[in-house]
Amino acid sequence: MTERALEGVRIVECGQNVAAAYAAKLMADMGADVIKIEEPGRGDLARHRGPYPGQVPHPEKSGLFLYLNTNKQGVTLDLRQAAGREIFHRLLQDADALIHDYHPTEMASLGLDYAALEKINPRLVMTSIAPFGLRGPRTNDQATDLTLWSAGGITYLNGGGPGTDDMPPLKPFGQQAGYQAGVNASIATLGALFARLSTNEGQHIEISTQECLMSILEFTFELYPYMSIFASRLGQKPIQPLDFLECKDGWIFLCCVEEHQWRNFLEVMDNPEWAGEAIFADRVNRGANWDALKPLLQDWVQDQSVKELYDKAQARRVPIAPVSTMGDLFDNAHLKARGFFATIAHPIAGSLQYPGELYKFSETPWTIRCPAPLLGQHNAEIYGRIGLSSTEIDSLRQQGVL
Amino acid sequence: MSRLPLEGIRVADFTWVWAGPFCTLQLAHLGAEVIRIETASRPCITRQILPWPEGKPGINRSGYFNQYNQNKRSLSLNLKTPEALDLAKQLVTKSDIVSENFAGGVMDRMGLGYDVLKQLRPDLIMISLSGYGATGPEREHISYGPAQVPMSGLSSLTGYKDWPPMHVGISYGDPNGGLHGAFAVLCALMYRARTGKGQYIDLSQWETSTALVAEGLLDYSMNGTQPARDGNHDLYMAPHGVFRSSGQDRWISLAVRDDEEWQRFCAVLGRPELAADPRFVTLAARKQNEDALEAIVTEWTQARTPEEANAQLQAAGIPAAPVMNAKDLATDPHLNSRPLFVYNEHPEVGVRQHIGVPWKLSKTPLPVRPAPTLGQDTDYVLRDILGYGETDIAGLRERQVLT
Repeated sequence: MTERALEGVRIVECGQNVAAAYAAKLMADMGADVIKIEEPGRGDLARHRGPYPGQVPHPEKSGLFLYLNTNKQGVTLDLRQAAGREIFHRLLQDADALIHDYHPTEMASLGLDYAALEKINPRLVMTSIAPFGLRGPRTNDQATDLTLWSAGGITYLNGGGPGTDDMPPLKPFGQQAGYQAGVNASIATLGALFARLSTNEGQHIEISTQECLMSILEFTFELYPYMSIFASRLGQKPIQPLDFLECKDGWIFLCCVEEHQWRNFLEVMDNPEWAGEAIFADRVNRGANWDALKPLLQDWVQDQSVKELYDKAQARRVPIAPVSTMGDLFDNAHLKARGFFATIAHPIAGSLQYPGELYKFSETPWTIRCPAPLLGQHNAEIYGRIGLSSTEIDSLRQQGVL
Repeated sequence: MSRLPLEGIRVADFTWVWAGPFCTLQLAHLGAEVIRIETASRPCITRQILPWPEGKPGINRSGYFNQYNQNKRSLSLNLKTPEALDLAKQLVTKSDIVSENFAGGVMDRMGLGYDVLKQLRPDLIMISLSGYGATGPEREHISYGPAQVPMSGLSSLTGYKDWPPMHVGISYGDPNGGLHGAFAVLCALMYRARTGKGQYIDLSQWETSTALVAEGLLDYSMNGTQPARDGNHDLYMAPHGVFRSSGQDRWISLAVRDDEEWQRFCAVLGRPELAADPRFVTLAARKQNEDALEAIVTEWTQARTPEEANAQLQAAGIPAAPVMNAKDLATDPHLNSRPLFVYNEHPEVGVRQHIGVPWKLSKTPLPVRPAPTLGQDTDYVLRDILGYGETDIAGLRERQVLT
């Protein structure tokens, strides 16, 4: 059997919703052994968000939870009880990393800060994901995905548009702040684990979600320190065309970043007469006169089908893209040929298609070994492994610790 | 000083624009020696666009390039010449990682495909971060980061109710590809440390963004339906949105997570009578009467600045944040109290505020050096890594190999 890239790496994960779960999922899918700790009874908040089959809530059928927790083992543990914390310490004794996104005040009040946990296991890498980090005046602020995306500077760049200034800045679909913090946490954690191969020392990693989002602001952050200006959602047309147009059977995104791409697209359109006008001569002019240009393009595009236009334009090296719906993605021949979607069977939610192989490794492929755990599914196995007898496990369950 | 996590790891970096350079930026932050292979005859697009200080263009003056290439080195090589190709191969033999993000097939045509390079360096890790990936019928298609947002499915789910699909404000496909690529390289390094084996990683930017649309895809997988666009709303929280504040184009985002928080929110609004109002007392009721609810919230938010609203909401433990622009971020007291921003002297733009590393490692603080000027490290690479003498280097320069 092929060896997995992160085989032998032992991770303990505790948190809610996306950030810590996504970091640990990325590692679990590459072969790490992940033990996910959830609150007894309620479990991870992601279990209570859906989507659900028929939109009927069920803690074992949340699409968000099922996606974020593939390849993990799951236990329940109440960290608010002393007995729970004692077991937590035992789980950490032979772990390589702890990844959590509990709020900083909550973690400290439980006595689970790095200074305490380092004593349990000096080789432990502990990764704390917090909305605004672990120091500074906003450390204790409460946050959700929406408010973090705003605090990270990205919301200000999107939504509304010319003539629609009354529309508010707009968040993207899903919980994107959580995913960004998660993938950053996975990089920093693996970096520290790689360092540990030579130093044999653990360390504490602090991740601020706000800062992770700022670091993907493209060039819009530097506009301020370099030119004392800032971008907003109301002025998004410096280069055009870079916009959504409606075909007869769906939407496309027309993207002509370089001059030759625009010229090629004109050929795809059979060189319309208006294209010769000076106000569309180069990308700066096309941007400045986008209000005049867009209706002309829209008029032509509305008789095209998405697929035909995409094929014709791509054949001329124009980076046009379809606006994929969920159905389009599952049906897409390219994604199918690459085996992107994985079918995963789950004992309660059933067999479903998930986004799967994110990267193709020639030696250590991405693999699915098991679906997301049921709440407390691996209590007996994991707690047995750290030396608890079945009588002790039963008694702890009765006390609500497990 | 403590050893950096990737100290001693060298990357021969053929990437350009954003996705690839963002991948190698993460590796550079962790201490890898990342050597960008560049040419003045076709410089990276990010070297050619703004922002420039004083509005004055220059190949080393763009804030875009200077942000995403911190901590790296630059080797100037004109790969159109056979001698330069040979030098690139020599560098690969001295490198642990090769990275590139051309369209599928380009590296192979240059004679720098993985099959060739792994002969030169058997334990090499190579990563390709193309738009579509290295296999599949559309592998040679051309793609830019902004187009990955609609392709990934994110745009079809993002937008106001009954409005067209929308973007997210940045070329989101690029950083997603770059970050997942950095994670993938680290996985390969862990594997190599254990087994001595290198490998090839094929990453598609399209796929790494599609992975972040999972809730929509699982919904479709379960129910066969496309979720509707619904602005800033959330199925599980209300009020949940971005609301107008006092001032020009100023906004506050806020979220009420549960019924108990709603009670506290009513107190902050100074509207205790709302706490018992049946239109709002449960999440289901608030979702049903969301328009009326938002009118009430807006009445309160537009009478104060985002900062004032934020302070009052946070004092009551309710999630909120001003919608911050670049100026707000650059001057923010919280951010400036943290070790995020770096102020390095750069030879052509002077001291500018840049965003440094968004993670703090307690035992290995990660230093940040400014981005390189084009070709800044050409002599260092030829002399110290490849062992060339001054006369050889002068000859190469004369033959236009190092341009």
